[in-house]
Amino acid sequence: MNIDKYEDAIMNCRFCFMCRHLSAIGNVRFTEVDTPRIRAAMLYGLRTGTNSFDDEDFVDALYRQDLSACCARHCVNHYDENGLALAARADVVEAGKAPAAVKRLAAKFVKSAAWKASGNGKVALFLDETTASDKAETAALRKLMKNAAGDYVTVTGGSIGKALKVLGYVPEAKDAAAKFAQFLNGLDVSAVVVPNPAAFDALKNDYPAWGLKLKAKVFCTAGFLLDRKVRFSKSAGELYYLADDFMRNYCGCECPERLLAALKAKNKPFGTNDEETYNCGEGAVVLDRLHPEIVKSLAEYVAARADDPKKDRIVTLGVYAKMALVKYGKLDVKTLNEIAASCL
Amino acid sequence: MKIKTDSYMFEMIRTELTDAVGDANVDVKFADKFGHSIDYYWIPEMWHDRGKECPKADFIVHPGSTEEVAKVMKIANQYKIPVVPWGGGSGSQGGALPIYGGIILDMKRMNKFYGVDRESYTVRCQTGIIARHLEWNCNKEGFSTMHLPASISCATIGGFLAHRGTGVLSTKYGKIEDMVMSLEVVTPSGEIIRTLPVPRHASGPDLTMLFLGSEGTLGVITEVTLKVHPQPEAREFRAYIFKDFHTAMQAGATLMRSRLGPCAMRLYDETETKTHVSKVFGINLDRGAYLVFGFDGRKDIVASQMKYAREIMEREFKGKDLGAKGGEWWWENKYKFFYPGYMFHVPQAFGTLDTVADFAHIEKVYWAMKNVVNKEFPDARFIGHFSHWYEWGCMLYARFIFPGDKVPPNEREAAALYNAVWDKAIRAAIANGGVINEHHGVGLKLGRYVKDLYGTAMPVLEGIKKQLDPNGIMNPGKLGFAGC
Repeated sequence: MNIDKYEDAIMNCRFCFMCRHLSAIGNVRFTEVDTPRIRAAMLYGLRTGTNSFDDEDFVDALYRQDLSACCARHCVNHYDENGLALAARADVVEAGKAPAAVKRLAAKFVKSAAWKASGNGKVALFLDETTASDKAETAALRKLMKNAAGDYVTVTGGSIGKALKVLGYVPEAKDAAAKFAQFLNGLDVSAVVVPNPAAFDALKNDYPAWGLKLKAKVFCTAGFLLDRKVRFSKSAGELYYLADDFMRNYCGCECPERLLAALKAKNKPFGTNDEETYNCGEGAVVLDRLHPEIVKSLAEYVAARADDPKKDRIVTLGVYAKMALVKYGKLDVKTLNEIAASCL
Repeated sequence: MKIKTDSYMFEMIRTELTDAVGDANVDVKFADKFGHSIDYYWIPEMWHDRGKECPKADFIVHPGSTEEVAKVMKIANQYKIPVVPWGGGSGSQGGALPIYGGIILDMKRMNKFYGVDRESYTVRCQTGIIARHLEWNCNKEGFSTMHLPASISCATIGGFLAHRGTGVLSTKYGKIEDMVMSLEVVTPSGEIIRTLPVPRHASGPDLTMLFLGSEGTLGVITEVTLKVHPQPEAREFRAYIFKDFHTAMQAGATLMRSRLGPCAMRLYDETETKTHVSKVFGINLDRGAYLVFGFDGRKDIVASQMKYAREIMEREFKGKDLGAKGGEWWWENKYKFFYPGYMFHVPQAFGTLDTVADFAHIEKVYWAMKNVVNKEFPDARFIGHFSHWYEWGCMLYARFIFPGDKVPPNEREAAALYNAVWDKAIRAAIANGGVINEHHGVGLKLGRYVKDLYGTAMPVLEGIKKQLDPNGIMNPGKLGFAGC
């Protein structure tokens, strides 16, 4: 089974409670089943027969996970409980036990794996469907890219494999990824800028792991702006930047924090700590489509921790978290790209 | 009492519970029940490891208010269903296991933080809040509960109250029972009561203390007011290596008798220093016993306290100074001891023989336990450290560990071996002046010793239980009380 590759997480997380306080879903559903300890124990139970993928509740719990990876960041051993969960989802799919909603979503992503490019230049900007749906974000990106790259190619389109991987459809994810890699390699660009944190993680981590090579250098937007030494004439002022799950916990990328410094932002600590995730399930990529009620609870949890929910300027890296916090948390949220564009 | 899930009665009770707390807050699914069937007690972990199904509750109920708890208690009393309060599930004594089925009352939905009272330096909260979350909330306001146990990330405040937990700064700030101002409790019959608002009074027996340590057998603690403290200006540690555990114990006891008032102190015996402390710190401490202590408060006072403490350690007992850095190793890694790889794990069999005694008896207790484990169970390793120090004595955190290949494959035989170690070691401790135990609680694991401990006072305890819980629905089979 795929989960056997995560023996450390299965054997150790099942009796460990040291990251319980960071279980985003557990903290809004108040459940044990939504914690790394019990998920690992249930997966161990597959071996002994106490648990089975025939149990829909067990499978549901696997698909409820927020996949923020803040547990792995917190853990002194950095056990990859998110990797274990993704492997478990792949096992669920291979066993033909994926929930109907997951199957429907996966089929949609398989069909959407097509892209188009417009414009000219040596730099490509990849606008995934989520990012492209946010007008303020795309306007900010246009402004930033013009300043940093001059002419550039805009790539738009559907699945690049990340969502399929997260849903447990690994062969389909690899197939979509291979096609996208081929598409990008067919463009005559030396750099590709990826504003969506999940997509950035896919190109940065998933693709190399799947043996896919990209000719162009992959940048997050912040990294690209810093690389091009873009000058900002205004200060970003006082804000609350919510550290991004993919950047902080998956990629170890500090570009957003470095950009905030370049923007002379007065970044105030949000909530009570810097360990929890405030990204409303961004790591799970499509949690909003599978479990909008949970994303609502996560956003309300975040909103309840704002110093002044009506006045605070909250900043996220990606559009996913922004949309969740605006829609359900009723917060004033902008992306880091919007902030950066306003400082030009 | 197990209720057949396909019975009319099951649906009747589920409907009533749903009416009380809302449909989304009553779980009857297998996965949820599974999640509440294993705590940190070795026996269920071992069962799980071997594929044996652990006893499960019939209903997992998540109340959102004290009033909802009261409603649930009335329903449970009506049908005489066991109710087991559940916090974070990190108890090591099986205290929250639903051994007779019934209702698990998962308290985590009751996680409200009502803020710090800046005049009285107190904080009020619901008891389902995870201790780390409470601490973070207090920190944001410039305060600390100073209750910083290893289980802070998982356990709820209610869990600590229920079994009289303690944290690493207990030597100065006390155990949880020293931190409590007052409680709100739902009695087994569903009445909501509040104990007196201050802990020091001469208005009769202290009901607050009655419920602290009652482990969910006398009612459900739903709200608490705790003392809090401003964050100290300075907190400094220092560590020493002594030639042996006896010398280190004398040094530690002398420091406590000096009344200098350290905030924390730990002493690891030679074996634990060599095997455990070295591993966690990533340095080689292959000889002697490691002792660490610290002071916190005003910077100038801390400096003064540290000066006199160093004189005790260095002049009187010739401790080898590891400096402030040697102390910081411990403070920075104090929770690392409990992560996988540093903590023991099934298939090993292990247990913490938590014992407390005064200075006149603590070494005797240590040797009595060590000798009995070494003699009677040659396959087991015995290690110990002394982790909560008071003016009069300290707590012995003794542990036994069997390697996995020395644990019988049959789970009944494994449990019998495990229980035999406890029987021998605990009776040796009690015979030498020890009290079982200091902060882990009784639960299921140690219930059989409660009669020995209480002696002629046991009927008093049982009378209180009968008065408050005539139907015996509250956490049956725990704390030495009858099952159902």
